[in-house]
Amino acid sequence: MSGVRAGQSDAQAPPHDAHVHRMDPVERTIRAILLVGIAVSVALMAVGLVLGAARGAMLPRAMVTLSALPAALARLDPAAYVSLGLIVLVATPFVRVVGSLVAFVVERDRAYVLITATVLVVMCLGVLLGRA
Amino acid sequence: MGVLIGILLVAFAAGVFGSMLGVGGGIIMVPMLTLAFGVPIKTAVATSIVCVIATSSMAQTSFVSRGMTNIRLGMLLEVATSIGAVAGGVTAVLVDGRFLQVAFALVLFYVAWQMSRRRGDVVPVRTGLLEAGYYDPASGEDVRYGVRRPRLGFVLCLGAGNISGLLGVGGGAFKVPIMNLLMGAPLKATIATSNLMIGVTAATSAAIFYGRGYMDPHWVVPAALGILAGARLGPRLAARMSARALGVTFQVVLAIFGLLMLLKAVGVPV
Repeated sequence: MSGVRAGQSDAQAPPHDAHVHRMDPVERTIRAILLVGIAVSVALMAVGLVLGAARGAMLPRAMVTLSALPAALARLDPAAYVSLGLIVLVATPFVRVVGSLVAFVVERDRAYVLITATVLVVMCLGVLLGRA
Repeated sequence: MGVLIGILLVAFAAGVFGSMLGVGGGIIMVPMLTLAFGVPIKTAVATSIVCVIATSSMAQTSFVSRGMTNIRLGMLLEVATSIGAVAGGVTAVLVDGRFLQVAFALVLFYVAWQMSRRRGDVVPVRTGLLEAGYYDPASGEDVRYGVRRPRLGFVLCLGAGNISGLLGVGGGAFKVPIMNLLMGAPLKATIATSNLMIGVTAATSAAIFYGRGYMDPHWVVPAALGILAGARLGPRLAARMSARALGVTFQVVLAIFGLLMLLKAVGVPV
């Protein structure tokens, strides 16, 4: 068993390493969406935490509802920024599926356009059924 | 403040293990939150679902760039798991919850036993179906493999999605063995692919929990931040560990999941 130890970071790999995986467009799209989603989510939660700390408040105990969100964001309500950060986190997998769908359309992979569209429809159906 | 740090640490550990094994780790987060921190059960479930999403998203950024995630296999099986999960809400009234928990536990024990009988990982076979490949830093080999029995895998994923919808767990504990033992994909590829899939069902559930007002930022925010940090580390460990060690860790975690489910079935609030 070789190379089990962690700690040797990817950055230390030789620059012309034949083992570096070359991502295809679908992989690149998915990775970019996830990275942006996580970054935006963490940034919004951090803003909420800083705004809250400035007012000497702890984390809010309830999420701000979607309809109340724009007004709460405008008046710099910490709970609104924390909530939006969590909403972005929860929405990221949805956006990831939409992004994969677009990538498969660009690649003209008909079977996977259909498969991905089905997943998206079922996800939305699940949310609608769950609200009832 | 002590509670906050406690949640961060628990979430970090859950993020490492969940992403390393492709199981999300909700089934561990819920009892930790309810028993150790006194979080109400629905709030704990909502928190753990957001944790599964955070694990999935963060882990994918690493697994995808390593080529370990078989995206086409994942998307195909997501059709089955998401339909199964949505149907879980409908069939919930038809089945006794306790019976289901016992069945779930027994299947987990059976899968752990089946995995332990196989001394190493599956031997990769080029089947020409949903082929993919990645570099395994632990063995120093380029692994190329194809998938077997897509129909049976699809049907079983319908069942896995259904049970996870019924019991409110991510279902990665079933997705990994289905893709590994049955469909013949190497363990590391199935862990990476399961990680991609669990985000889809968890996001659907999380949207529902948000709408119903069960999400409490007081718990969710520190849990999500801890998970995100842990899930940066997990995929690196998974990539560098030998498939054998990873398999043994997975079996142990399956057995713990099974025990927790049995405790639930006899009425212990875990």
